[in-house]
Amino acid sequence: MKQFRQTFRAMGTEHEIELAAPDMEVARRAAAAAIADVRRIEAKYSRYRDDSVTARINAAAGGTPVAVDTETAALLRYADQCHALSGGLFDITSGVLRRVWDFKRDPPVLPAADEIAATVALVGWADVEWSAKSVRLPRAGMEIDFGGIGKEYAADRVATICLERGLRHGLVNLGGDVRAIGPQADGSPWRVGIRHPRREQAAVAGFDLATGALATSGDYERYFEVAGRRYCHILNPRTGMPVTHWQSISVVSPLCVVAGSCATIAMLLEADAPAFLDTQGVQWLGVAADGTLRGPAGDA
Amino acid sequence: MAATDGQRKRRQRGPRVPGAASRPRRADAAPAGALLAAALALPGVMPSAAHAQSAPDKGIVELQYLNYRDWQPGRDRMQVHAPAFYALVPLNDTTVIEGGMVYDHMSGASPLYFNVLSGATIGDYRTAGDLKVTKYYPELGYAVSLGGFVSSEQDFLSRGGSVTVQVYSEDRNRSWSLGFSGTNDRIDSSNGVAVDQSRNSLEFLVGVTQALSANSIVQSNLTYYTGHGYYSDPYKTLDTRPTARQIWAWLTRLNQYFPGPDATLKLGYRFLSDSFGSTSNMFEVAWVQALPWGFTVTPGLRYATQSAADFYMNPPFPKGYKEGQDYSADTRLAAWGAITAGVIVGKTLWDDWAIALRADYYRQDPDWRLGGSGSPGIKTFSARWLQVDLTKSF
Repeated sequence: MKQFRQTFRAMGTEHEIELAAPDMEVARRAAAAAIADVRRIEAKYSRYRDDSVTARINAAAGGTPVAVDTETAALLRYADQCHALSGGLFDITSGVLRRVWDFKRDPPVLPAADEIAATVALVGWADVEWSAKSVRLPRAGMEIDFGGIGKEYAADRVATICLERGLRHGLVNLGGDVRAIGPQADGSPWRVGIRHPRREQAAVAGFDLATGALATSGDYERYFEVAGRRYCHILNPRTGMPVTHWQSISVVSPLCVVAGSCATIAMLLEADAPAFLDTQGVQWLGVAADGTLRGPAGDA
Repeated sequence: MAATDGQRKRRQRGPRVPGAASRPRRADAAPAGALLAAALALPGVMPSAAHAQSAPDKGIVELQYLNYRDWQPGRDRMQVHAPAFYALVPLNDTTVIEGGMVYDHMSGASPLYFNVLSGATIGDYRTAGDLKVTKYYPELGYAVSLGGFVSSEQDFLSRGGSVTVQVYSEDRNRSWSLGFSGTNDRIDSSNGVAVDQSRNSLEFLVGVTQALSANSIVQSNLTYYTGHGYYSDPYKTLDTRPTARQIWAWLTRLNQYFPGPDATLKLGYRFLSDSFGSTSNMFEVAWVQALPWGFTVTPGLRYATQSAADFYMNPPFPKGYKEGQDYSADTRLAAWGAITAGVIVGKTLWDDWAIALRADYYRQDPDWRLGGSGSPGIKTFSARWLQVDLTKSF
């Protein structure tokens, strides 16, 4: 078995693919195909590119429907199910709230209540007209954003590409969303640490992953503090306000896209998160606002 | 599945009151594991064939070479060399075209002469081709295929067409197939026995494929064949068969994947009832084992057993022949059992190339018939296949 490892940058963050294979060339080619697919997804769904599907849909908000292909329709459908299962809290139209919540601004400024209310009026997946063929955002100024799904979806596709090429050992890490292609070369699981929400280079816990995925959603990714209070980038689409109940939630699921959306939904559900995660049948670990660790019902 | 997407348009939920929204429906009332089930509908997140409801996004080109040889104790009979070509090309997101060509060259004693024969040898060739276009309607949950084929030999021409409709369930775990095909055959034997003869047949298929879990899938097909025309063998003396034929066939297969050993168990059973009077049962088992370095090894075993056709007469020829009655001494219509043992070794190569080598050995013996004695007086019959497939996907 030979070890192959490649880091690359896409979707605004660092990624890594680690593979073990008897034939280095097979691993190298699989990684190249996988990276090409990540870049394809980035180009297709990035909201920063004028020629992306996302940009076209957003540019037509309030206007005519935009035709979508089967992949985009499948992602919309998945986003719709996340929306339904989260009671409307997971909403791919909530990205407009970034207009009032600028986490890069220095010094930070809290948005005014009327500003937030005006922006919240542009959020509403339930009003979006969509089908397997087209999508239309009903109000000018509305936006959709696949940021909450795209990276995790890409991680699952990387795993599929590697598996279909006969690889059985590997790990893909797309900016902290991790999917195992299979166990390590010696058959042992990967030890995947969970970042401490308050100390960047420390781990708060770890999971053993031979197959499946681990994703974490946390209040430390983008945030600012005003008057000693933290305001993070995970925003409730109804109130337009940041969530506060958890520092982070990590979820283990067979698919990265499920782990990622479960973690995000759990952050948004705040106190209702444990009940939701337990019905989804996933393993999870939460770091509560006071720093204590929580896990599935029945776990110590 | 997507059939309901249209209904999702313009759902109204009343005016939105920022910051004062009512409490959401309790999310923990969601069905268990619903997100995972939903995510499995995303393309390419699992390397699973169980969810093949949309058009393949990859094309395939395959080159194949088959070498076949059969023999009976003390004599070689026939040899076939058959190079073949197959291609599947997605034309767009929802349309796939596929087609194949095969060229057979047969030499040696024809199986048509089985047992009763002049000892003449033949050198014959056959060219055949088929073409099929499949259109997928993923949003409506079905796919339609239209196909045509033609096969041509010196003394035989066969042409036909088919229509297949596949309907997928909402969750894509089940699909139904309805198929219909028609065939016209023309027979003009080189010995002048069959002159401008023809045969027309129709075949109907109804099938269901059900994913039992993420790792197992079961398929069951029922086919009915009905035809009329010339069924006799013009190269056999006194061979006279009925001019109408009906066949019922029921085939069930199960594929079970085992993640531990990374292997798939394939089981199959076929029951067939032929209006010629014979019934047959076939059982097959294969184990597809993935190995390191991109190798797969698939050992397989098949057992078939059949009763004789009503008009099959045991040797010696022409015992039992009566003028004006159906009669055949073709041992393919006799009662026997047969075992096929084979192995396929596959290997993925670079750049989406793959190679597979296949070897099968077949032996047919009257003593191997299940639940009854085989036809007396016929010799065992053996055959072997050697096949190489070279596949490139793109």
